[in-house]
Order: sequence, then C-alpha cells, then structure tokens
Amino acid sequence: MKCIVCDREALEKYCEFHEEAYLNVVQKFEGWKRATGVSWKQYLKELVENAYTGCWAKEVAESLLKTDG
Amino acid sequence: MRKYTLIITEKPDAAKRIAEALDRQGKPKNLKENGVPYFIAQRDRELVVVPAIGHLYTIVQEGGKRNQYPVFNFKWTPRHLAERKAKGIRNWVEAFSKLSHDADEFVSACDYDIEGSLIGYCILKYACGGKETSAKRMKFSTLMKSELEKAYEEPLPSLDFALIEAGRTRHEVDWLYGINLSRALTLAARRWSGRYSTLSTGRVQGPALQFLAKREKTIRSFVPTPYWQINAEAEILNSVVEAEYERKRIETRAEADAVVHACAGKTGEVIKVNIKTVHQKPPIPFDVGTLQREAYSLFGYAPRRTLAIAQRLYLDALISYPRTSSQKLPPIIGYKEILSALKRKRAYTKLASKLLEKKTLKPREGAKEDPAHPAVYPTGNLPKKPLGIPEKRIWDLIVRRFMAVFGEEALKESLKVHLDVNGHSFFLRGRRILKEGWMEYYKPYVRAEEVLLPRTEEGDKIRLRRVTREDKFTCPQSRYNPASLLKKMEELGIGTKATRAEIIQTLYNRGYVRDERIVVTELGFDVIDVLGKYAPMVTSAKLTQELEAKMEQIQNNRVKRETVLEEVVEQLKPQLEQFKQNEEPIGEALTKATQRAQAQERIVGKCPNCGTGNLTIIYSRKTRKRFIGCSNYFKGLCTTSFPLPQRGTVKPTGNNCRACGWPQVLVWTRGRRPWNLCFNPDCPLKSRRKKT
Repeated sequence: MKCIVCDREALEKYCEFHEEAYLNVVQKFEGWKRATGVSWKQYLKELVENAYTGCWAKEVAESLLKTDG
Repeated sequence: MRKYTLIITEKPDAAKRIAEALDRQGKPKNLKENGVPYFIAQRDRELVVVPAIGHLYTIVQEGGKRNQYPVFNFKWTPRHLAERKAKGIRNWVEAFSKLSHDADEFVSACDYDIEGSLIGYCILKYACGGKETSAKRMKFSTLMKSELEKAYEEPLPSLDFALIEAGRTRHEVDWLYGINLSRALTLAARRWSGRYSTLSTGRVQGPALQFLAKREKTIRSFVPTPYWQINAEAEILNSVVEAEYERKRIETRAEADAVVHACAGKTGEVIKVNIKTVHQKPPIPFDVGTLQREAYSLFGYAPRRTLAIAQRLYLDALISYPRTSSQKLPPIIGYKEILSALKRKRAYTKLASKLLEKKTLKPREGAKEDPAHPAVYPTGNLPKKPLGIPEKRIWDLIVRRFMAVFGEEALKESLKVHLDVNGHSFFLRGRRILKEGWMEYYKPYVRAEEVLLPRTEEGDKIRLRRVTREDKFTCPQSRYNPASLLKKMEELGIGTKATRAEIIQTLYNRGYVRDERIVVTELGFDVIDVLGKYAPMVTSAKLTQELEAKMEQIQNNRVKRETVLEEVVEQLKPQLEQFKQNEEPIGEALTKATQRAQAQERIVGKCPNCGTGNLTIIYSRKTRKRFIGCSNYFKGLCTTSFPLPQRGTVKPTGNNCRACGWPQVLVWTRGRRPWNLCFNPDCPLKSRRKKT
C-alpha cells in the first residue's frame, strides 16, 4: 500500500516519514489548544500556514484537512 | 657518472622552495624530464629535487571482473593505469624511474603526515625500485629556508613506517568499503532498471549522511508550538533601553496579555543592581578544524576552500603546515623572530612591537596535540607578490590569531538591573569592555558589542514606556552547514582532518545533499534507507570510530595492518551477502529514488496559470526539443507551455524574476557566461528592454 501523501510504501496510512510527522501533529494539538483555545481544524490550518512547520508535517496537515481530519 | 641525492617532494611548488633553500646560491637549475619539472641544487653534493603531483599510486582490484562484488583482492598501481582522467601521471612515474637510476641516496621530503609519508613511500617502492628501506626522511612544518636546511642536515634515518602503515591501511580499508558497497548499490540499481547511475557510499560517507538524514527528518516532521514573549522599553535619564521580562517564554496568550495589562506605562523600582567583571582568556591557536570554522563564520568560506587557500599560503612559506590537529605552539618555532619579521608590515607594526616589549611571551594553548606538527602559525615571511583577497583574508586571520594568543586577558563588565513593576520582574542589561587585552590583536574578528546603561541605583524609579506581547513559535533544530558538519564529524571522530572536507564535497557531488544550509535530498534519504535496512553497520558512526582508533594504534605500532584488514573483510562479508540476497528490492528502491531525484531536478516552480501544477522542463520524444510545460497537462487540466533555448544546458535556479515573480531558469552555453532566463513572454523587463 502507498502512503496517502507520497508514493512511498505505507506502514498503515502513511509511510515511515509521514507517520512520524503525523504523530507529531497529533501530539502537539493539546499544547496549542491550551495556549490559544484553537479547534482541531483551525490548528491544522495554522500548521499549513506556519513557516516553521516541517514540510512532512505540513503535507500531513493538508491531507487531514482534505479528509476532514 | 656522478651520483646524486634524489629528494622527493609532494608538489612542484614545494620542490622549488626546497631546492632554493638547499642550493648554496639559492638558485637551483630548473629542468624538465618529459614535461615534469625538477630542480638540481648544489650543496655538499648534487641534489636532484623531483616533485610528485599528489598521489601517483592508487589501489585497484586484482583479478576478477569489474561488475561484480565482493572484491577483496587488490594491489597498488600507478594511477594512470587505473583512472581515465590520470593519463598525465605516466610522465611523473617515468621521470622518477629515470632520475632514480643515477641516485645513490634517497630522501622523502613530502609533507610530514599520513598522506605525505605514503606518497613518498609509494614512489620509493614502486618507481625507484625498492628504495623505501634505505631512504631518509626530512621532517619540517614550514617551508622556511632555515627549517628546511635543518631538516636536510638532520634527517630521520629511515622513513616513518608506522605512519606509512597507518596510511596504507586507511586507503585499503576505505577502498574495500567504497568499492564493495558502491558497486553493490550501483549494480543493484542497474540490474533492476537497465540503466547506469553512479551511487556511492563509504566508511565515512555513510555515517555522515546518516546523521544529516536524522536531523533532516526531525526538521521535516517538526510541528511548532506557540509561546509569547514580552518586549518592553524603559526610560532612564532621557534615554530608552530594552527591558527583558523575567520569563523568556509564556505558554498561554491569556497570561501574556495579563502581563502587558499590568505593566504597560507603569513605573517600577530598581530593587537590585548587579555588577560583574568577567575575565576572558585569549583564544587558542588554530588547528585545521578551528581555522576552517572561523573562516566559515567570518567569510563564509567552505572548509574545503579554506584548506585549499591555507595550502597555497603554506607553499608560499607564509604559514606553517595547515593540516594539523595541534593547538600548541612550542617555543622552538621562535615567537620573537616571527613577531619581529611580522613587524615589517605596517598593519602589524604597532601590535607586534607591543608584544615584543613583553618580558616573556607565553601563548595560550588548547588541549589537542599532533605529534607531527604544531598549530597553524605565520612564518613571519611577508608576501612577495600581492595576495588575492581570499589568501589575504586567511593570512591576516592566522597572523592576528597568532598575535592574539600571546595577548593578556580581556576584562569585561556586565551590569544587570532588577526592576520590579507591579509585581513583575524586568531586567536591564549592559556590558562594556574595561580592558581590551588580546582583543586588540584580533580586533576585526572579535564579536563583542557594547551596551552602555545610564547609571542607576537601588530605589531609582524607572518607567516602562512600552510593553508589548510578541507571538512566537518554537523553531526546529537548525540545519548543518559545511562548517558545523565538519565540527560534528570531528566530535564523532569520523574521518580525518585531511579527508573530512573532501567527504562533505562528495555528498554534494553525488546529489545526496544540497544547499549551503545542508538539505538531504530524496536520493540521500533513499540511500540511507536502503543501507539502514540491508547494511546497517555501514551507516554506524561506531564502526568508523573503532576503525579510526585502530588506525591510531597502527600509527603507534600497537596493531598490525594485516589484522585490521582481516577484520574489515570479515565484517564486510555478511553485509555484502545480505545485499546480494536482496538485490531486487534494493535495485527497485534506488532506481525509483534516482528517477524521483531526476524529476525533482527538472521542476522549475509552480505554474502561474493553474496554480496547482509544477512547471517542468520536458523533452519531447517526438521533436526531441525541450520546453517548459505544466505537470497538470497529463491530467488534462492545464496546457501552459513555454519555449526554451535548444542549445546549452538549462537548469532551474530556484529564484524568481525580480520584475514579474515568475520562476527562472539558468542557461549555460559553451563560451558564454551563464544567464538567468525569465520565460514569461509578458515580463515587464522584456518590454522595457525592447523599448530601449
């Protein structure tokens, strides 16, 4: 099975690289929520626009936005 | 026929300088043998000084076919028989053979390090017909006349065989790793795709790429976390200074807003004033690594470039041997003589004179030692011809650093004012230099900014003029640059001072990394991925550290070369076996990676018309012409295309046109300067040019 972001082999949904990024995205949400009160969707949008977000994390956030999280 | 002494040097420039230093008149005869320059000097007897041109010998496979692995049989052979681009080496080998016939004494005067010793040894053994056992060794750290004369008069009675053995082993171990693994990668890709592409890895290349990839993964997966910072300005005696809030980071926006609300426009009281004086010791002398790092941070020179510049300065006898890991300056180099000589240059007159007035000159030294050479220092010679800007900069840096290590401690004062505003603490900080000390000598290269604070005392009232909240985010770790990568390799003990810069360059040449702030490419990731799966040992820094330690032991006569080679073969065998068994998946992964990398290289930028496709350089199979087209064409969504020049090479620049913002391509045509092309037909720059 292919990764839903790139064409590498997927572990489940994502490849090894995007899986790590996905885990980071999920893990950091609590901190964002506490700090700014942001919703999950808004959080993903913020990540896509943020200059410090790594490109794999950005791709994961974009794919989550498309699939409604 | 009169017999003579044959002196072997590493490079033609060094031969000239050695011949000039040893000739009674300082004017040796300059001759040529089949295009190879050499020099005849007259001293107590005739001396024939013949240069090499780096390594004349290399390792090749002995027997067997070219496209198979594992390969464990090898021999040393002249480079012209092994490398297509080294045809010219034949003349040098023949010149040594011919000139050795009438020589009855042999001296190696190559650089006193592993590589230099090995170059001399191979020439004596193979080109001069087994003279390595009777040859003597000149040992020197600068190409100054006095030092060269001493090295000639008091040579080491034999070659430095321990150093040579360590050098041979290093080359042989690297060859065994390089040939087998690179061949395994290349053949796996070729067997799967039917196409040839150069893929390589090695004993040091693998671990270096591995930790670059690890950092890259962290950066690419990074998710920033928001935090807030309080910025404030305080008014003291009609001047405005920056005030720092007690906490550098505030985790929630609401909390940050509360601080702003409580402190903006409020007056606080000084509750404490701390004054601290700090003694700052002089810097330590340059070893090659610190010189490369300093040159990178000051001038942006890549480590390899700095080494090449330093090598030129060494060959001009302006500095000592640069490939050293020593941070020591022994008194034998003659501190006073060097400073007196430097005094002749106006820029250094005042500084050198000041140091010479000192009763004793004692340099501050670092911990690292090198048995062969001291730290890098200026010889005291002044350039005979004007230096180019890079040489001038590096020479000046080395001269000033040399003077600075003899300087006194610098004295700095730092001031910290604690201010209480409505229950919140702010700090005002100031710093000034009380005594320059060594900084005077190293001035252009010292990074010390003074912040002068007006005089304040406990109980003073200070108003915060402005208090604001700044939205911030945590940042990913920074990318390595060539200098920080060099430092990391040094810390991990992988590679040597002479090879690290070259290995970094190889990573760029293979397309595994790109850019100044090093980015690992998809190809780099895939190679590391494949090696990690099928030959994990090769990417482990531990393995290469162990081998480096063994090489040191050979140098100290504690381990035999043969033992290390046997161990390496035993380590490689199972790894290569595993590689062979998995050739198909490895080939597939590498081929896809190469194809992805090639496709990536052709992407020019986003399509300005559809906004979602990538503009790509496309080669038409039908017309065999190239043009730029949108990747969405194949999905039937966009038909954007632009013509391209058909001559020369075209490559995306990654930059956008300053007038219209469209991506640009770089065009190279033989005999012309490369130029940036904006392919937007309606670019305002083009219409402006047409009008003029």
